[in-house]
Amino acid sequence: MSSASFEVQDLSKRYRTGPPVLSNLSFRYEGSGAVGYLGPNGAGKTTTLKLLVGLLRPSHGRAFLNGFEAAVDRHRALWDVGALIETPEPYPTLNVYEALEVVGRSRGLSSEDVDREVDRCHELLDLPPLGRRVGWLSKGQRQRVAIASTLMGDPTVLLLDEPTSGLDPAERVLVRRLLTGLKRDHLILVSSHQMAEVAEVCDEVIFLHRGRMLLRDRVERVVDRIRLRTVDVEFATPVNLGSNASLRAIAKGVVALSDRRWRVEFDGTDETRARLLTVCQQAGPVVQFTNSTLALEEAYLELVSEGPHAA
Amino acid sequence: MSATSDTPTVDAAPQKVRRRPVSDFTQWRIVTLHQLGHYVRTNRFYGLFGFAVLVSGLTLAFQVNAGVGRIQYEQLYRSSEYLSNFLVYTGLWVVLAAALFGGDALSVDFSTGTGYYMLVLPIRRPVLLAGRYTAATLVTLAVVGITYVFGAAGAVYFFGAPAVPWTLLGESFGIAAVFCLAALSVAFCVSAYVRSPAAGVLFTLVALYVGFTTLQAVVEFAGYEPWFSLTYGGGAMAAVLDTDFIHVQAIPVGEDQVYYVWAATVQEGLAIMAAYIAVFLPLSAYLYQRKESTG
Repeated sequence: MSSASFEVQDLSKRYRTGPPVLSNLSFRYEGSGAVGYLGPNGAGKTTTLKLLVGLLRPSHGRAFLNGFEAAVDRHRALWDVGALIETPEPYPTLNVYEALEVVGRSRGLSSEDVDREVDRCHELLDLPPLGRRVGWLSKGQRQRVAIASTLMGDPTVLLLDEPTSGLDPAERVLVRRLLTGLKRDHLILVSSHQMAEVAEVCDEVIFLHRGRMLLRDRVERVVDRIRLRTVDVEFATPVNLGSNASLRAIAKGVVALSDRRWRVEFDGTDETRARLLTVCQQAGPVVQFTNSTLALEEAYLELVSEGPHAA
Repeated sequence: MSATSDTPTVDAAPQKVRRRPVSDFTQWRIVTLHQLGHYVRTNRFYGLFGFAVLVSGLTLAFQVNAGVGRIQYEQLYRSSEYLSNFLVYTGLWVVLAAALFGGDALSVDFSTGTGYYMLVLPIRRPVLLAGRYTAATLVTLAVVGITYVFGAAGAVYFFGAPAVPWTLLGESFGIAAVFCLAALSVAFCVSAYVRSPAAGVLFTLVALYVGFTTLQAVVEFAGYEPWFSLTYGGGAMAAVLDTDFIHVQAIPVGEDQVYYVWAATVQEGLAIMAAYIAVFLPLSAYLYQRKESTG
């Protein structure tokens, strides 16, 4: 599994009209683990995945899967790759088994192994009855079949674009657990809007905004980077911290979470943190003074407002 | 990369499956069967197949009702003449089937989610095209074959099995197969160019049927042979059975005016079809290879 890799080198994509969809993107991952690929609509997430699998041609740069360019040799590049991009739809006239069979056979499985893999996927993803036509499936069922198609033949690289889209909460949990299990010996790139989901499943994240990489780091470091600059203060009695002039002089922002709880943003230094604590104690009886438990989502929003960071 | 998480996991590790290298030929076979499985369950296949059975069946029923003697008289007591006349509209079935099965065969990858399912598999696009082309040819031939089955049944009924020119009938069906390949080459090329499946089907129908027929009539009216027309070349299917085949007929129209009606010889028809295949099939492969999934 050590050969599993995906890489983009100075990758750019521009259509005939409009600004570049992707600009000079570079990253490389090898081995196993899960990488979250985050960004708002139009950030270029799906475009990157399409360029990797050869559904689009790059305007500049190159994209590799396991060392091969899909634009040059799609057979070798996609041989050990399972990709879920946009909303894949097998022919509605085929049944679930047939839809998965064509994937397994094209990836070199024998009939017996196709059966074995279909059974495995059926168990992992609680697939609908195998004889049911794809056209009769619900959106969630179709999505599970599409995810199953990426697992047929156990490819080492998985490229998943919004894998939990269209799934109900129970199905989302199922897929998250599946990905957490898979990342032990697979290399997974998960594009998503669901920051909490990415934070739970992924080891690293890439933040993308308007076709450019904002940040690439380990999930916990990204969260820490923001978390250490924000404290939550809880008082024993109601306090109006927002109108406290001393606090406003050292804080970058103050938000009321309730009449007794406040979130204060500052420059992150220990000196300011100590001064903040003193000011808060002067304002009222402090019950709790802790680093905020910010979500990845807030980290992302902060990054977007700050502009590009070094990758 | 290391994986750290407290999330409960699903053990996704499979019992190791063996993946063997797959040749282009094997993948072509896989795609053909997959596509064929799709085609034979579509409403368009049931509809067209049923329509072909209905039209051919009714034609035969009316002939049976007219009586053996009258049919033998009208067809000059020759079963080949009967078959040639029975199969004269086979080209229409070829065009209809080619448009319906080929007109959206490739565009479906760029307008629906089918492309996101099939184009991410480790199958080269020319192989994917070849598989779909083969499947489309087989279902088109199945529809066209209905006309031949009813035609042969009629010939046996009216003239007796020994009188039926089976070899010529086989040759005619062979030419029909080449015509199917040529018509599907055009349909696939249109399908590789347009993005909407409906537009692909419609454009193929208009081009092959209305377009060629109209142009053919105009060119013939001007006194030239419409050698550029695929449907003209397709006439060779019936011509091979026509024992009184006439390549060009001069029909007087008023004073000092002659209207020429042309019919393609077998060699001419095959050459026209081969030319269409040689031009449009590689072109459709090129367009399909270049097309991007921008939707």
